[in-house]
Amino acid sequence: MTRFVLRRVLAAIPIGLIVTLGVFALVFAMPGDPLRELAGDKPIPAAVLAAKRAQFHLDDPFIVQYLLSMKDILTGHFGSTFAGADIADQLRLRIPVTLKLATLSLALQWIAGLLFGLYAGFRRNGVIDRMLLLSTLVVLAVPGLVLYFAGQYVFGVQLKWLPVSGVADGYPISYLLPAVCIAITGFAGMARLTRTSIVDTANADFVKTGRAKGLGEQRILWRHVLPNALLPVVTLMGIDFAGIFAGAVLAESIFNLPGLGQFMFQAIKLKEGGVVVLLSTLAFLMFILINLLVDIVYGAIDPRVRNV
Amino acid sequence: MTTGEVLLKVDNLSVEFDTPHGSVRAVDGVSWQVRAGETLAILGESGSGKSVSTQALTGILEMPPGRIVSGSAEYRGVDLIAMPVKERRKIVGDRITMVFQDSLSALNPVQSVGTQIAECYRVHRGLSKQDAMKRAAEMLDQVRIPAAAKRVRDYPHEFSGGMRQRVMLAMALALDPDVLIADEPTTALDVTVQAQILELIEELQAERDMGVVLITHDLGVVADVADNVVVMYAGHVVERAATAEALDYPVHPYTEGLLGSMPSAELKGQELPTIPGTPPSLRAIPSGCAFRTRCPHAIDDCALEVPKLLTVAPGRDAACIRRTTISAKEAV
Repeated sequence: MTRFVLRRVLAAIPIGLIVTLGVFALVFAMPGDPLRELAGDKPIPAAVLAAKRAQFHLDDPFIVQYLLSMKDILTGHFGSTFAGADIADQLRLRIPVTLKLATLSLALQWIAGLLFGLYAGFRRNGVIDRMLLLSTLVVLAVPGLVLYFAGQYVFGVQLKWLPVSGVADGYPISYLLPAVCIAITGFAGMARLTRTSIVDTANADFVKTGRAKGLGEQRILWRHVLPNALLPVVTLMGIDFAGIFAGAVLAESIFNLPGLGQFMFQAIKLKEGGVVVLLSTLAFLMFILINLLVDIVYGAIDPRVRNV
Repeated sequence: MTTGEVLLKVDNLSVEFDTPHGSVRAVDGVSWQVRAGETLAILGESGSGKSVSTQALTGILEMPPGRIVSGSAEYRGVDLIAMPVKERRKIVGDRITMVFQDSLSALNPVQSVGTQIAECYRVHRGLSKQDAMKRAAEMLDQVRIPAAAKRVRDYPHEFSGGMRQRVMLAMALALDPDVLIADEPTTALDVTVQAQILELIEELQAERDMGVVLITHDLGVVADVADNVVVMYAGHVVERAATAEALDYPVHPYTEGLLGSMPSAELKGQELPTIPGTPPSLRAIPSGCAFRTRCPHAIDDCALEVPKLLTVAPGRDAACIRRTTISAKEAV
């Protein structure tokens, strides 16, 4: 087990380098001058501009800028943003916001996905099953962005059930609408996979063996069908969990939640390579950690993948 | 030859499947019985209805699309088909158990084999977890799995095909059943392992005076272990006899054709004889005798009605108007 974890962590190092380098290069390749954008229409004195450029190493070659950023991240000296905010402070303020949003949306998504998927799988071709298949098809076809704006307009602006944006109403009221929007986009895949997996497993030979053993249908369902049917679902939960940051970038920007996603969005707009790479590194570390967790959980529930 | 008590008696069993193109009859008026200590082989090719008939009577057939149209299956005089599911579960899985062909998919991959065997004791005998596991280990030992006490915690994928089939047997025999229905138990195994498993079944059967229903498409297996044989074709029983007699003097032309197409040392170097044509689709079974389109002895009358299973000699039945009339004449 320790060896397995160690191997996975070591393998993550080169991948992490490639990912951060790629992200940094993408930010570097964006057109426009970051500092001029920051200043807006106002002219900036040449001396101030030069000082800022020197402070953020903007005149150094690309690879030097990348290495300096990485050095800052690894030594914990995050520095400040172009606008002068302390990045460490920003992280302290923003991480809880994103965590709240992520946990709420994941909880909603998993509960809804599992409940609908399980029910539709048990009662396949029933009314709920058909409704689920149709509605998930619609959800899968609608782009996330459209869903976020539509949700904000209908429930925030028109019906005024929930706040349109910001965190003024606190947790969970302010987080509910964006979390539901994220959950709806993710729940469709989850519900469909759960349903299909249960239907497949219910036709497996070992279910027939269970009947031949004289087991009741409930026992077959809980002891034999479910533990097998949920294996792919656990994998998807891991992927969902790891990918939640992508949803957070959109949702936090649209609903104006001061979390990491919004920070990321602003940093990309301002071409703040250092901040983008820092946030990417955080997301990447989360990703590795969650993947490791999924693998460990998977090994515990499926004996066939142990000792790998 | 076998005089034990009749344990399982199937009478006039018919099973249909609903398909989008109408219903097809997979099993049509099948009757057989098995006594204590007897091995009855049900012989037939894929789609002849041999598995469907046993799955229908034990209630493990998916219904729908399957449907039992008629017939009864009496275990010690009580009809399994007519009884409520809850009652039947006390018999199927306890007094009547089954072994399937593909042991890898027939075992739950995420449960240890011990847990799966112990489940029989837990559900049917109400044993505690520890006791059930202890009994499971004993069963593994009885089916001659080496180091059974250790292997009881292993998972199905950690066993070889032959060992897994032994696990299946241990599970089926855990509660000392009266009847074991073995559905092609050796088809997925290589020949030497196949012989070992058949031998094991024979031994365990002798110890328990158990009736065995062996479903197979392999004449060699029938010749080796079966006391009596029921030959099925397109959902019908076409011949019923003691194994030795059926192999020596087959009455039905289909049985004859099967025997003729067995490889043997005398036929070395020659082309193996085959039965011409292919088995009919269940959707288009020929009128009258289902075998007539492939039968060398067919006459016009064969198309008129489905031949009845008639007794041609004591303990011998066949469904062929050509052969039964000839024999009946001779008998007079």
